[in-house]
Amino acid sequence: MKRMYQIYKTCMKANIASAITYRVNFILNSLIMLIGNVLFPLVTVFIYNSNASFEGWTFKEALLIQSVFILSTACAGIFFNGIMWNTMSHVVEGTLEVVLIKPTSSLFLLLARSFEFESIGLLGGGVVMFVYALSGIDGMTIGSWFLFLLLFGAGLLVMFGVALIVAAISFKWVANSRLPEMFESIKSFGRYPGTIFPKAVVAVSSFLFPVSMIAYFPASTLIGRWEAYFFIAIIPCALFAAFGIWLYTYMLRSYKSAGG
Amino acid sequence: MFEKIKHRFRVMRAVAFVTYKEWSAYRTHSMVSIFVGPVYFLVQYYIWSAVYSGESSINGMSLSQMLSYFCATMLINYLTMDFADWNLQMLIRTGKFITFSLRPMNHMFYALSQKAGHRVLGLLFEFIPCFMIFFFIFHIDVLPANLLYAMLSIAMAFMMNFFIHYSIGMVAFWMVQSSSIRNFFSLCEGIFSGSLIPLVFFPKSLQLASFFLPFQYTTFLPAMVYTGSYTLADITLPIPQVLLLQLVAVIIAGIVCRVLYAVSLKHFTGVGA
Amino acid sequence: MDIITVKNLTKQYEAYHRGQDAKSVFKSLFHREKSIITSVEDLSFSVGKGEIIGILGPNGAGKSTTIKMLTGVLYPTSGEINVLGYNPHKQKNQYVKQIGVLFGQKSQLIWDIPPLDSFYMNKEIYDIPTNDFRTRLDRFVSMFEIGDIITKPTRTLSLGERMKCEFIMAMLHSPPVVFLDEPTIGLDVIAKQRIREFIKQMNQEGTTFILTTHDLEDVERLVQRVLIIHQGKKVYDDKFSELRLHLGAKKMVRLSAATTIGDIDLPGTLISERISDYEVELEIDTDQCKMGEFLHILSEKVEILDISIKEIQIEKIISSIYEMDIG
Repeated sequence: MKRMYQIYKTCMKANIASAITYRVNFILNSLIMLIGNVLFPLVTVFIYNSNASFEGWTFKEALLIQSVFILSTACAGIFFNGIMWNTMSHVVEGTLEVVLIKPTSSLFLLLARSFEFESIGLLGGGVVMFVYALSGIDGMTIGSWFLFLLLFGAGLLVMFGVALIVAAISFKWVANSRLPEMFESIKSFGRYPGTIFPKAVVAVSSFLFPVSMIAYFPASTLIGRWEAYFFIAIIPCALFAAFGIWLYTYMLRSYKSAGG
Repeated sequence: MFEKIKHRFRVMRAVAFVTYKEWSAYRTHSMVSIFVGPVYFLVQYYIWSAVYSGESSINGMSLSQMLSYFCATMLINYLTMDFADWNLQMLIRTGKFITFSLRPMNHMFYALSQKAGHRVLGLLFEFIPCFMIFFFIFHIDVLPANLLYAMLSIAMAFMMNFFIHYSIGMVAFWMVQSSSIRNFFSLCEGIFSGSLIPLVFFPKSLQLASFFLPFQYTTFLPAMVYTGSYTLADITLPIPQVLLLQLVAVIIAGIVCRVLYAVSLKHFTGVGA
Repeated sequence: MDIITVKNLTKQYEAYHRGQDAKSVFKSLFHREKSIITSVEDLSFSVGKGEIIGILGPNGAGKSTTIKMLTGVLYPTSGEINVLGYNPHKQKNQYVKQIGVLFGQKSQLIWDIPPLDSFYMNKEIYDIPTNDFRTRLDRFVSMFEIGDIITKPTRTLSLGERMKCEFIMAMLHSPPVVFLDEPTIGLDVIAKQRIREFIKQMNQEGTTFILTTHDLEDVERLVQRVLIIHQGKKVYDDKFSELRLHLGAKKMVRLSAATTIGDIDLPGTLISERISDYEVELEIDTDQCKMGEFLHILSEKVEILDISIKEIQIEKIISSIYEMDIG
C-alpha cells in the first residue's frame, strides 16, 4: 500500500514538474480554465437574465447544479480522465509494453500517470462558483452535506467508470478519438435540473447511464430537495465503475495475449 | 496568369482528393457526429421547452425559432468546421512542417485544400444524416429560408472558420507550447460564435462588440441567414446586406491571416525548425 | 563547374537556460538566463556539378543547420549561399522547384493512403507534365522493384519500402540537386544497398547529391568528397580517399603469440588494445617505422603464431577528428 502511494506521488510530481517547464503555458492554461469555467454556465446566466427560468429553480439553485458539475469534471480531470488519452496513445504508438513490463498493476500505473495538474484551475473556478451559488440558498444541514458528499462520490464513480470504458474501447477501436465526445454528450444531461426532462429520460439518466448523479442529485440533496430514488441510483454508479474496471482489465489481458 | 490559376486549382483538387481518401479511412470518425449531434440537440430541446413554458418569445425568438437555430448551427458546423489550428501546430511541433517549406507549395493553401476534402466527407457522413434526423425524426423546420443566400453565407463561414483557425495555429510558429493561447481563442470562439446560445441573449454591449469580432461570422450570422432573419444589438438587417457584411468581415480576416502567415514564416526561418 | 558555393556562412541563436532542481524550476517561472549559441561558424565550401559529397560530424555539430540553410528553410546570420544561381532563402519559391530533399526522419508520404496517391499529389504541386511523370514513376518503381506495394497504405509498409518511396517523392520532378539527410537510417543491409545503387545511377545521369549521414558505409561506398563539420566549423574538406591519410600512413596489426607479449618499444608503434597476454592490436605509423623493419624486430622479440595487417578503420579516423577540440 505504501509502495502504491510512493508510486502515485512520484507520478504526480513528474506531471507537475513537466507542466511548470513551459511556464507561460502553464500559467495561462490554468487561468484560461479558470475563466472558461466562469463562462461555463453562461447559458443559465443569460436565460435568467432574460427573465425566463427553469421552472421551480432559482438562478442560484440552477447555478449550484452547474458548479457541482464543474467540480466533478475537475476532479475527474485531475485524477483519472487522462487515462483515456494515455491508453489511446500507448496503443497507437505500440508503447504499452513499456507499462506492462513494470512490476505493478498496469491499471494503477496508468492511472498514476494520468494525474493532470492543469485542471487545478478548473477546480478553483468551480469552488468559487459553488460558494457563490450557495450564498443565496438556504436548506443546508450537516446531514445534507454528508449526503452531498456521498452522492458526489457516487458521481465520481460514474466519471471514473466512463473514463475506463472509453479507455478500454480504445484498445480495439483504436483511431476513434471521438469516443470521449460521445460520452460528453450523454453527460450533458446531468448538468441541468432533472425536472426539465420527461420521466423516460429521467429513468435512463438515473439508472442506466447515471449521469444525473454527477451534479443534479448531489446539488439537489445539498439544498434539501432530495428524493429516495437518488440514493437507489448509487447502485448503478458503483456498477458502472466496477464494469469499467472489469472491462479495462479484460482488454489489457487480451492485449497482452494478442501481443499488441 | 490563367495558367497559374489552373495550376492552383489542380493542386487544390489533388490535395482535397488525397485528404478525402485519407479521412475516409476513418469514416466512423465522422459518423460519431450522427450520434453526438442529435444527443446535444435533445438536451437543448428539453432545456428550451422547459424555459419557454409560459413564454412565447424570449429576446425576439420563439421556441420553434430557437430549435431551428440550434439545428442550423449544428448543420452549418458540419459543413464549415476544420482542425487547421491543431494540424498546423502538430506539423510545427514534430518538425514535419519543413517538408512543406521544401516544396513549392504555400502551406496555407494546402491546409485550405485539405479542409475542402475533409468537409466533403462531412457533407456526406455528418450533414446529410443529421439533416435527415432533424427533419424526419425530430420534425424540426431545417429547410433554409432561401437556398442561395444560405449557400453563400455558409461558403463564407467556411472561409472565415479557416482564417480564424489557421491564425490560431500560427501561434505555434512563435511559441513552443502554444496550447494555452489556442485554448483561449477557442474559448472566445465558443462563446462569441453563438454556438452556445444565440448572441441576442448577450448584454447589448457584447452584441455590439460581436460585429467587430470575427466569431459571429462563422455560426450566428450564417444560422440567422439560414433561418431567414437577422437581428443583433437591436439592429435588423435585410439578408443581402447581412451577406455583404459577412463578405467584408471575411475579406478582412483573409488579409490578416495572409499577413500573419508571411510574418510568421519569416520569423520561423530565422529561428529554425 | 560549381553548382553550390558557400562563403563565410554563420548561424547564431538565442537560447535559454534553467537548472534541474525544483528551486531552479520554480525560479524559471519568473526569469531565465539567455545566451548566444553559434551553431555554424564561418563555413566555406563548394560543390561541383555531378558530385556526391558527404557531410559528416558529431551530433550537434551543425550539419542539420547547414542543410537547412542550403535548402532555404533557415536564413543565415551572415555569409553567402549560392545554389544553382539562387539565394535559397531569398528566392525560395523558385528555388525549391529545383531541389529534392529527403529527411530520413520526416516523411512526405501521407500515412493512411498509398504512396501512389502522395506521388500524384506531388505531381500537381511540382506541376510535372503527365508524360514525364508517368515515365519517371515507372522507371523509379522498377528500379526499386516496388510496383506491388505502392498501392498499399503507407502505414502497412516496412521502413525500407517507405524510404524507397520517399526517394521517389524527392526525385519525381527531376531536380538537378538532391539533399539527403540520414537516408539509410534504420534500414537493413539489402535496402541500403538498393538505395546506394539508386543514388549512384542517378548521379551518373547528372544529379548532384549532398548527403549527411552517420553511416560510414554510406560514406565509403557512395561519397567522393567529404566535408566534416565539428563544433560549427569545417575541419576537413577533401576527397574521401585522402581521409585515410589524415592520421598519417598508419596500419593496424593484430598479433597473436606463443609467449606473453610485453611492451614493444619501437618508434611509431603503439599498442592500441591488449586483448590478452598473448594477443594484441597495434597501430604502426609506417612513416616512422617501415613495415619490413617492424616485422623483423617483432619476430626477434616474440614468437609469432598469427598476424594480420589492415588499413586503419574509417571509424577511428573520424572519431579522432570528432574528438579534436577546436577551441
